[in-house]
Order: sequence, then C-alpha cells, then structure tokens
Amino acid sequence: MGENRRGSPGPTTGPVAEAGMPSTEPAVRTTNLWKIYPQEPRPVEAVRGVGLAVESAEFVAMAGPSGSGKTTVLNLLGGLTAPTEGSVRIGGQEITALTDRELARVRLNRIGFVFQSYNLLPMLTARENAEFTLVLQGVPARERRERVRKLFGEIGLEGMEDRFPLKLSGGQQQRVAVARAVLGEPDLVLADEPTANLDSTTAESLLDVMEQLNRTRGTTFVFSTHDPRVMERAGRLVRLVDGRIEGESTPSGT
Amino acid sequence: MVRLRTLVWLALRNLGRELRRSALTAAAMAIGLALLILSRTLADGAHEDWIDAGVRLGAGHVTINAPGYRDSESLDDRLSAAQLQASLAAVADAPTPDPPLASVRVTTRGLASSPEGALPAWIVGVDATVETAFSKLGEEVTDGRYLEDGDRLHAYIGAGMAERLGVRTGSRMVLTAQAAPGDIEGQLVRVVGIYRTGVGALDQSLVHIPLGTARSWLGVEGATTVAVLLTHSSFTDAVVAGVRGRVDPAGAEVVGWPVTQPDLYSALKLDDGGDWAFHMILFAIVALAILNAVFMSVLHRQREMGLLRALGLSGRETGLVVLLEGILLTIASGIVGVLLGLAVVWFFLRDGLDLSGMWPEEFNLGGVAFDPVLYPVIEARHVVQSAIMTVAIGLSASAYPAWQAGRLDPAESVKVE
Repeated sequence: MGENRRGSPGPTTGPVAEAGMPSTEPAVRTTNLWKIYPQEPRPVEAVRGVGLAVESAEFVAMAGPSGSGKTTVLNLLGGLTAPTEGSVRIGGQEITALTDRELARVRLNRIGFVFQSYNLLPMLTARENAEFTLVLQGVPARERRERVRKLFGEIGLEGMEDRFPLKLSGGQQQRVAVARAVLGEPDLVLADEPTANLDSTTAESLLDVMEQLNRTRGTTFVFSTHDPRVMERAGRLVRLVDGRIEGESTPSGT
Repeated sequence: MVRLRTLVWLALRNLGRELRRSALTAAAMAIGLALLILSRTLADGAHEDWIDAGVRLGAGHVTINAPGYRDSESLDDRLSAAQLQASLAAVADAPTPDPPLASVRVTTRGLASSPEGALPAWIVGVDATVETAFSKLGEEVTDGRYLEDGDRLHAYIGAGMAERLGVRTGSRMVLTAQAAPGDIEGQLVRVVGIYRTGVGALDQSLVHIPLGTARSWLGVEGATTVAVLLTHSSFTDAVVAGVRGRVDPAGAEVVGWPVTQPDLYSALKLDDGGDWAFHMILFAIVALAILNAVFMSVLHRQREMGLLRALGLSGRETGLVVLLEGILLTIASGIVGVLLGLAVVWFFLRDGLDLSGMWPEEFNLGGVAFDPVLYPVIEARHVVQSAIMTVAIGLSASAYPAWQAGRLDPAESVKVE
C-alpha cells in the first residue's frame, strides 16, 4: 500500500493547487486517487495517491512509461473504472459514489473519450458516429446534422459523412472519434494515446484539430501519451511513474 | 422514449451489420416454428380424425345411458320411453353451432349362430337412416348393403363373423340374447351386407339390426343408449354439461367420449406426450441456435459494448441493446415462421400427408381403425401458442447474453481487440 493511502490526501498538482483557492471548480480534480487490482501473489497498485486538477480549457498531457498508470488514471477520470480509494470530481461533481446509471449520465453529458484504436461503432456511418452522443442527449435531428456539418468542415471531414468506418483511413477515423468526443460539449475530453496508431503527418494534423478545438471552443483535453509531439504541444505535461505523479512542466510555454 | 428509440435503432443496425448471421439465426427459428406449426396441425388433424372414427364406431362424442348401464350392460338398466324423449329434447337444444346427430340404440351382448358355429356378438339395434350418417359403418361394406328403412329381420355383420359362421349376404343366422323380461330369446335374421373395418374384434362381433326388430325381440320400449355425434370434439364438454342440466340424473347418465372410450383417450394422451417431447426438442434446438448466435455476437463485440458504456449508456441499457436484438430477431422469425408454417400446412390441406407406406395395413388404436392419410387442422389457439412459445424461447435465450453484456467492465472492454 502507498504511503498516502490511509493518511492525509496527497498533493494535488496543477494550477488550482498552485493558485490556492480557485474561484470556480476545475474541469476535473482528483484527490489521493488509488487503484489497486487484487491479484496473486500480491495486489497491483496501478495508481498510487494521484492528486490532479485540470482547469477548464487546459490542454494537459500525461506521459510516462508503459505500465505507469496513464490509461488507468484516464479510466478513473472518466468513471469507466472505480477507484479503490480517493475522489474524482468532474466540474465539481463527485463521481466515485454514483450509481452505474448516474455515471452513464455523467459520461454522456460531461466527458468525451478518444481511444487509441479509434473505437468507432462499425455499424454506423461517420456522421452517425459523430452525433451519437447528441442522439443520446436528445438533440433534435436538424440541429445534430448542422453541428456535425459545421464541425466536419472545421476538421477536414467534409464529404465523409456517409462513409462507414471501414471506408475511412486511420486518421479520418480518429478525427470522427474526436468529433464525437467534442460534439456533446463535454467539460472534459479524455484521449488515451490518440496518435499512437497514426503516422507522423496524420498525427500532427489530428493534434492541430484538437488544439484548434481547445482554442476555439475552450474544450478541456487530458491526454495520455508516449508521443513527444503531443508532449511538446501540451500546455502542461504531467509525468507519471509507477502510478504516481513524479512532476510536471509546461512544454509549450503557455 | 428517445433513448429506447435509440437503443432499438442500434439493435437494428447491429442486426443489419451481421446480416448473414442474423438471417441464419432467423431462418433456424422460422423453420423450427414452421415445423412446429405443421406438426401441431397434423397432430390436431390426426387426433380429431381418431376421435371422429372412434366415436362414430362407438357411442358418439356424448353418450346418454341409464345409470349403471355402462357397468352392467344389462337391459335392466335402460332408458324408459319418457327418459328417452327428455334426453332427445335436451340434445336437440344442445349449445352447438350445428344441431347434433342423436342415434337411439338398443344394445345387448348375445350370441350369433349358424349351422357352422356360434360367436359372441355385440348386437346393436339402430335407426338405419340416422346410423348411415352416424357410424359410416355402411361405407365399409364389402358385400351386399347397409340396413335401410323398411328392413325388419335383417342384419349387417362383419367379415370376421361371416367367415367364422360360414355365412354370406342372403344367408340366415340366429341371434340369441337375454330379453328385458329375463328370458333367453332367439331372433332369426337374414344377412343383408358384410363390412370390414380393419379392426378384427369389431369385424367378428358387431352386428347391426333394425331398431324396431331389436325392440320387439328384446321387449324394450325405450333404449339402452342415445349416442350423440357433434361436429367437433371440442364441443363435448359443453354438450355434456348442457344435457346433464336438462335430464333427471336419477334416470339418465350423460358422459363424454373420454369416459366411454378410455383406451382411445389414453392413446391420444400418450400421443400428446410424444408431441410435447418432440416440441420440446424443437424448442431446445431453436433456443440453442439463438443463444449461440447472440452470445457469439456479444463476445465479438465486447469492445463496442465497452464503447457504448463510455459514450453514455448504462450497463442495463447496453444489455437492453442485446436483448432488443434478440426480441427483433425472434419477432421477425416468428412472423416468417408462422407464414411459412401456414403455407406448408396449406400445401397438405387438400391431399393430406400420406403415411400409408409406413403404416400397417390394418392400423388401429384403442380399438378404432385409422386413415393413414393425415390432414392438418388449423387451430388458431395452437398456432398462436407455438408462436408465443418460440418468441418466449428466443427472449429467454437472449436474456443471458444481454445480462452478460450489461455486466462487462467498460474499461477492460474498450481494450479488447
């Protein structure tokens, strides 16, 4: 067990912690977050006392070697897995004690996901994939169509609306995944190694898209990554080693 | 409502994406249901045939006797003339769409003899006109003719009896029985016709003679039996209840064919049991086909299930998508299966299913000979039951994969390649 697990909460990194009392709640804040997998011969401590605060409209990357707990932290932030201990607040709302149904609502309305392997629904077209969260949110069809059309125009997917995922390149699929993640206007987009399966040109282009969305729409992004290109562009780089935050920097100088 | 519509839409798109698998699963269910419908309609047709054949040669769908007659078979336990009239009036008012056919009979056990020998005989005095429509024994004639109005000292006997007694049409023979007053009385009759039903015991013992002859020979005014023929066996219980309410229970006992023909009833029940087992096997095959298809589909789409959770569906809603796939598949299969089943049944409606090649020449069940050609009978109740059962099985088979889909760990599922 980690040293902070039963004691006082660990330090919370990020502007909020540094700035003292925030005027508003950050997009996401974790306090003394632990994830322990019960395994033989001994439990695996995947995340050990992580405290992290991400302000609204930040562009944050979490870097670290394989097994450092990046994906687990993202899953904890997104409510896809429950922490063994600690707190996760999305826009001020504590999500660790929510029911499955309540968590589903939080994911739908406040969190967008981008996965490493695109993860589009193969039976839906690009447009249907992108507007999926809008459908679940009950947004009228006309408005959905308009929002998709506008965003597809912004991110270079014009004319791809009716293509099924198998007819799209990896980069195009990942753009659709990004569109799906941001169209529901979430507080936070969690992107798990979004450029890992892309060539460098496509990866740069995708990062451009996400940066642009961050800048123009104020969408908050938290990445996990190995990719130096992502790290260079991040407004803040959080380094994770063995499930613990080892430090952070501001590579892009913002 | 929006969410349910979205889940249905997702389920439909999933089915459409796995079109071949969906079509194969649906085909398995539809063919299973069609076979089930064919099997049930043939069974219903065969059973009605068997009942019809049994009651026509026996004592009808509904039988009215004096109390005790069914055990004693004695003329002492007979319906008086007044009780007979009351019974006939009650039958005429029976609650059936078509008027029942009532055959008044005087029946006794006795002996049939000729110069070549003697045989135990089951002698039935009948109204020739009514009986022609009732028993259809006249249709089994192999020589001569059936009884007619105006016949008096005539008899219609089976081929077995004719061979054993060495008589033929036109021959004379003597019937001997105990008359109502208690004396043993003989009656000379002439054979007007010979029949062959295929049931050895009947062909050797059943003798029809005119009702008037039986009454005067045996000294009976009323009758031993009123046999009532209905247009369908399903009316039996209603008619039994209706007639019972109209006759004096001290003077007349009213029973249905399951009581008078227990062997036939048992044989039908046994056949029903066989059908039930067959249907259960069919249902099990259908259930396994669906379970396999839906379960494999869930396993192959584990990542999608995780993704749906990440995108905002709860575990229950994700499971519901899978269940809806099962529901849509079974409903579509149910509709196709019913239509296919009815089409196959329609094909057999006119000419029937001829099983004579696999049927013994003289097949009888419970003492009744049967036609080896089976004609299906469509009973809406059974068709609906089969469809409901298939859909229920489909839903049950989808429930487990749906439950599994709802329990998947989203964080693990999205990682599955």
